[in-house]
Amino acid sequence: MNEWERLRHAMRATERPDAVLDLATVMREGRRLRTRRRVAGAGAATLAAGIAAVVVLVAVDASGSGGTAPTERPPPVAVAPPSVGVSPTSPEPTPPPTVARDVPPPKALGQVIDSGVRYGTDQRVYYLVRVSVPGAPKVTVGLAAGRRSPNGYLTTDLLVNDVEGADRSAGFHQIGYDERSSTTPVPTFGYFVGPAQRIIGTVDGQQVDARLARWSFDKNVVIFWFDPAELAPGKRLDGIIARDASGRRL
Amino acid sequence: MARGDAEFVEFARAASARLVHAAFLMTGDHHQAEDAAQTALARTYASWSRVHDDDAYGYARRTLVNHLVDGWRRPMREYPTDEVPEQRRGDVADEVATRRWLVTILGALSPRERAIVVLRYYFDLPEAQVARELAVSVGTVKSTSSRALEKLRTAAPRTTDEEARR
Repeated sequence: MNEWERLRHAMRATERPDAVLDLATVMREGRRLRTRRRVAGAGAATLAAGIAAVVVLVAVDASGSGGTAPTERPPPVAVAPPSVGVSPTSPEPTPPPTVARDVPPPKALGQVIDSGVRYGTDQRVYYLVRVSVPGAPKVTVGLAAGRRSPNGYLTTDLLVNDVEGADRSAGFHQIGYDERSSTTPVPTFGYFVGPAQRIIGTVDGQQVDARLARWSFDKNVVIFWFDPAELAPGKRLDGIIARDASGRRL
Repeated sequence: MARGDAEFVEFARAASARLVHAAFLMTGDHHQAEDAAQTALARTYASWSRVHDDDAYGYARRTLVNHLVDGWRRPMREYPTDEVPEQRRGDVADEVATRRWLVTILGALSPRERAIVVLRYYFDLPEAQVARELAVSVGTVKSTSSRALEKLRTAAPRTTDEEARR
């Protein structure tokens, strides 16, 4: 283990999963800050409008034409794009999944990801949910494959989560395979933690690119799934790798 | 509770442990770390309507780092053993020793070096992103990492010797 690896290991090993903050205070402070920003924004707008009015008056005096008050707006919201294929490489072993079934409708953490796969009017979706694993305090989230009906109702088909270690450790985590437990086949899915821009699975000597999306709560978490037309649901991968933007294997 | 508030609570519960720990790694002080994480989450909540569908965790992390970088003046402090949590998680003695080693190692680094090390090796961010978040060049990230590594190499044996003398 080199110095960086030792340091990385030490930084993670000393994490205290029981750290609890006073969220009521956090939200109270946040509301206060939001109010202050609004008041400041309104004051700035009033001041700007006043300046504009003066400018308009001067302009009217000078030429008879008017002006408008300035406005401000926050930056736009981003959504992760699907992956694009390049050239694949050698496989590595796929870890065995831990799968829980028949989970009641969960509360999704962050954005629900639409895979683009459809079952009639239902969408195949993926989302993170909170989990609690005895003896694994650093595992707090799991990845669910579910269906979303047109009225927005979520039905979970499969939930995969780590059973040891940390759910946010770098690299691949549990992979979910269809187990014929649902009337709709579940495309193979999972998540990777790190700057992956491309994830490639290998099966029967063929390489298949996964579709990717990033978790809205933590962009370091890359959720992936395989198009069922390219990888039959339930078919076990022989290997899987991730590559960064420069094509380097992670 | 409004839907946005419920989502924020879920997010904060999922993110707080890592934010507090990252702040601890950068400051060496648990109380300061908790205050910084709390401030970062409060600012995230204040902007929740525009960040919750984007990268809430990234926003909170950037806010935390900026907050600490802005206020950095204190030196690293030794983490006292009697503050180790009561619950048993693996080998507590090992964890205390690791924590002591970590605090000593990080204490040998400058605030900027600590920030780069934490972003790069705790959050696993690529160099380009570390550079963006700290508003420095990629070259600065590389050279600072390299300097930090040198300090790590010189600090690590001394720490081991001290442990052996105890």
